[in-house]
Amino acid sequence: MVGQSVGDIVRPMEKSLFRYIWTHSKRDQLLVCAVVLVSQPFYFASLDLPRQIVNQAIQGEAFREGQATAPFLPFTLSLPEWLGGASFPIFEGFEVGRIGLLLGLSGLFLFFVIINGAFKYWINVAKGVLGERMLRRLRFDLFTMVLRFTPEALRTVKSSETATIIKDEVEPVGGFIGDAFITPVFLGMQALTALFFIMVQNVSLGLMALAVVGIQFTIIPRMRRELLRLGKRRQIASRQLAGRIAEVSDGIEAVQVHNSYAWERAEIGQRLYQLFDLRLRIYNRKFIVKFINNFLSQLTPFFFYSVGGYLAIRGTLDIGQLVAVIAAYRELPPPLKELIDWDQQRLDVQVKYDQVTQHFSEERLAPTLLAKEDAGEEAPLVGPLVAEDLRVSDPHGGVILNGVSFEIPLPADVALISGGASVASLMAQILARRMTTFGGRIRIGEQDLRQIPPAIAGQKIAYAGVDPILFPGSIRDNLVYGLRHKPLGQRKEDEREALRRIREAQRTGNPIENVADEWIDYTVVGAKDEDDLDRILIDLMKKVGMGNEIYLFGLAGRIDPERDPQLAEHLVEARRRLRETFQAEGMADLVEPFDPQQFNDQSTIAENLLFGVPTSDAFRGRNLAENSSFRSAIDQAGLFDELVHMGRQIAETMAEIFEGLPPGHSLFEQFSFIGAEELPEFEAILRRSRSDAALTKEDRTRLLSLPLAYIEARHRLGLIDDKLKVQFVQARGYVRQEFQKVEADVEFYDPEKICAAAPVRDNLLFGRVSYRVANAQARVAEAISAVVKGLDLLEDIERVGLDRQVGTAGRLLTAQERASVNLVRCLVKRPDILVIDGALAPFDETRAQKMIKLLIELGRGRSLFMVLPNDRQVEDFDILMRFGDGQITTESNAGRTSEASEPQPANAQRIAGEVA
Amino acid sequence: MTLEAEVQTLRQVPMFKDIDPARLKLLAFTSERVQFADRQRFFSQGDASDSAYVILEGRADVLLTTPTGEIKVAELEGNALVGEMGILSDTPRSATIMASEPTTALRIDRRVFLELLAQFPQMSLAVMRELAKRLEQTNAKLVAKSTP
Repeated sequence: MVGQSVGDIVRPMEKSLFRYIWTHSKRDQLLVCAVVLVSQPFYFASLDLPRQIVNQAIQGEAFREGQATAPFLPFTLSLPEWLGGASFPIFEGFEVGRIGLLLGLSGLFLFFVIINGAFKYWINVAKGVLGERMLRRLRFDLFTMVLRFTPEALRTVKSSETATIIKDEVEPVGGFIGDAFITPVFLGMQALTALFFIMVQNVSLGLMALAVVGIQFTIIPRMRRELLRLGKRRQIASRQLAGRIAEVSDGIEAVQVHNSYAWERAEIGQRLYQLFDLRLRIYNRKFIVKFINNFLSQLTPFFFYSVGGYLAIRGTLDIGQLVAVIAAYRELPPPLKELIDWDQQRLDVQVKYDQVTQHFSEERLAPTLLAKEDAGEEAPLVGPLVAEDLRVSDPHGGVILNGVSFEIPLPADVALISGGASVASLMAQILARRMTTFGGRIRIGEQDLRQIPPAIAGQKIAYAGVDPILFPGSIRDNLVYGLRHKPLGQRKEDEREALRRIREAQRTGNPIENVADEWIDYTVVGAKDEDDLDRILIDLMKKVGMGNEIYLFGLAGRIDPERDPQLAEHLVEARRRLRETFQAEGMADLVEPFDPQQFNDQSTIAENLLFGVPTSDAFRGRNLAENSSFRSAIDQAGLFDELVHMGRQIAETMAEIFEGLPPGHSLFEQFSFIGAEELPEFEAILRRSRSDAALTKEDRTRLLSLPLAYIEARHRLGLIDDKLKVQFVQARGYVRQEFQKVEADVEFYDPEKICAAAPVRDNLLFGRVSYRVANAQARVAEAISAVVKGLDLLEDIERVGLDRQVGTAGRLLTAQERASVNLVRCLVKRPDILVIDGALAPFDETRAQKMIKLLIELGRGRSLFMVLPNDRQVEDFDILMRFGDGQITTESNAGRTSEASEPQPANAQRIAGEVA
Repeated sequence: MTLEAEVQTLRQVPMFKDIDPARLKLLAFTSERVQFADRQRFFSQGDASDSAYVILEGRADVLLTTPTGEIKVAELEGNALVGEMGILSDTPRSATIMASEPTTALRIDRRVFLELLAQFPQMSLAVMRELAKRLEQTNAKLVAKSTP
């Protein structure tokens, strides 16, 4: 099934919501409508039964002629008058007495109630499913449009607004879709049935009801027009609010730097006021309309009771009839009300839908999206790169490039020397197809640059701009991002679940590919398998100078011993080896190992008590002090009072030594157990109670939290003596017992096992580096590195390093790391044309120079276009491209170093001039 | 040895002797106590100056690098402050300090030390007084040398 593409050619969004719904769901809509139709006779029957019960059974009309029994459930097939009006009794019915008839008819009534309920249930579910499917389709279609936004449109489109549109604004549209056709049919039929029934009973009462309905249907929609207008304004205002919040949160740096809190607060406050005001007006309007609507609905019963009652008293209407009319009328207002609501909703969502489609208007979108076209064995992008009559102007109409022509034989390494002007970067964007609004033509060989299908361009051209765009996920995910074009192999998937998933996808125009499938195209990189790919990635990362970082990331990373039992085993082995190394080289005092029977001077008290690593915040830091299992454990160990006492001593010391430092001073943050803002609070606790016994429960908890972070060797307050150490070690048993009882989120240390919650480095050391020994950290790091290399674990650890999370927009990495990841992402797919536009900006000149050499080296036989500020780093390039006065000149590089493999022209000469 | 004991040692250092005990406690608390093995270097001549040391226990040699090798020019013992000039003047280490027996020292981080000086004028004054005293001594020595 995989590889079959569904709905790839994207049509523009339907202008009319109803047409959109009808196009994509007519089958389901018709099916539900049919069921609604089928359900009507049962509904009608249930309306008629009360009359029969009152008239025939209770008042005894069926027994009027003195017979003892009457038929129950007779079934007669009658021909219409125009066919002779003959009737054929099919079933005579059961002969039953008066009580029997009453019970029979009542039972029948109950039966119809159940049948009607069942119909309603099925219809509601079907409607819900239909709505959800359409919502899925609508959202997906909109998302597909997001992918089609042109680079130019993206300058004005706010991503947060787009997100709120797809997530929130279409929600009510989706809710409505299920009701779009069915509700008017269903409710309309109910209303008509009820009306018809009233008509059958009594025409004048029916006409009366009809007249009131008519009034309702003319007045109410009119009154609601204003509501729609307000709704539209509200939608735009709240969309802008979402956009504004995202802007502020993205630009929080500027807000903080310029202290514009007050202004931003006032700005948002104003928006919220406007939203409130709009909502208030909507409420006022809405409830007035509701009031009138209710009044009109109650007008009809008023007529029924007064006029109908009058007729009944006069004897022209029998009481059974009146009761039935009133019973039927009870059924009339709800469908009517809902119909009116439906109409309101219809207008409402149509307005919303219009707003949504306007956001995705055609002029903002690239023509089509054919991402899945197979690039396959496409010929490489080589041959002469020919630009003819290039014309580019800036958004304000100024001329940037004016009739430029040039020719460069590819592959070549081209330096675009900007001289500080932005036009070089613009040219780079044109070559990388990041900019499409230019005049003239660019050809590579026989192909027009703009006509190259995106699938091929995506593989053959890579672009690294100033801002590396990283997605949340691991470094590896980001590196292989450019290799995910289509699923190549299937992961094992539950057959039935897969079938269901695919069927749903097909019904909603969604892609049938599974994200869990194997998407990475190893052949592009020349890798055999996952491990091989990792090796290539690590190798490239090393080449761009990230080798050490990846190794360190690996040491700081975590492994899952269940997923990688072999590595876990190796790490435990390395742990042993490391210990031996320390012993052998007299470094034993550098690391104090975790020993189940020994207190660890270099660890916090919390770590000593847990003898493990918490995996959730509830067990981390001060939260532990509030954890009931933990408290109960230290209570059993008889340590509660001791710890509170230690807390008091710490608080006293901190209050003493940090006194006089202004709050927010960096020393506070770096060294104090107590934040500057909490200090007064702790001072108050100390003042309140001179002795531990006098402490309140809350104060004890506060104090208890302090020593948890205390490390004897580091903080040296002399709080822990040998007796206490023994007690702490004993307490570990209680803690484990209590935690195991509640299945606490703590991974306990085991000398023979890997602790999945602890980083690789801690697992290797299985102990803490001594604070007491000078230069211990560096020496331990060296020892680890030596053992890792000795046991051939380097690659495994670097592989763990690739799992490092990059955070939102890569914010967990430094600018240089981000730039490196961005570059390797481009390099790994081995593009025919690599365009580098400021991607080396975070590096200093020496490193940038190295990178340039590397890029040229790695791209032998392929083309490199790089924007450079000046001539300083051009020595390795084949061709220099210069910009000025709306023109471009290209020249082959005279100062090029001779080691180049390609033959080069004997001397510098212009290989193509400009055309004025 | 606890924080209290370290504070007592710091008070023996001429530069710190007039400083408020609470401040010295802060200085001690924000410093690290480290052990050097015999022959282990505190730092080498030419290194960047990132910290000063107060020797709590043990001894250390002051070595100067010369074309003929390292020569010992002085010996430091308990209560000695070393490396403070480098962090004040922000110049590389002018000599090598090497433990001549297992030695314990208090490592005062440069940034923290400067923060403390910036925060507490009393500490700055004490340091200035000490530096002035040293200058005076140097002058006196120069005078003694130049007068035959």
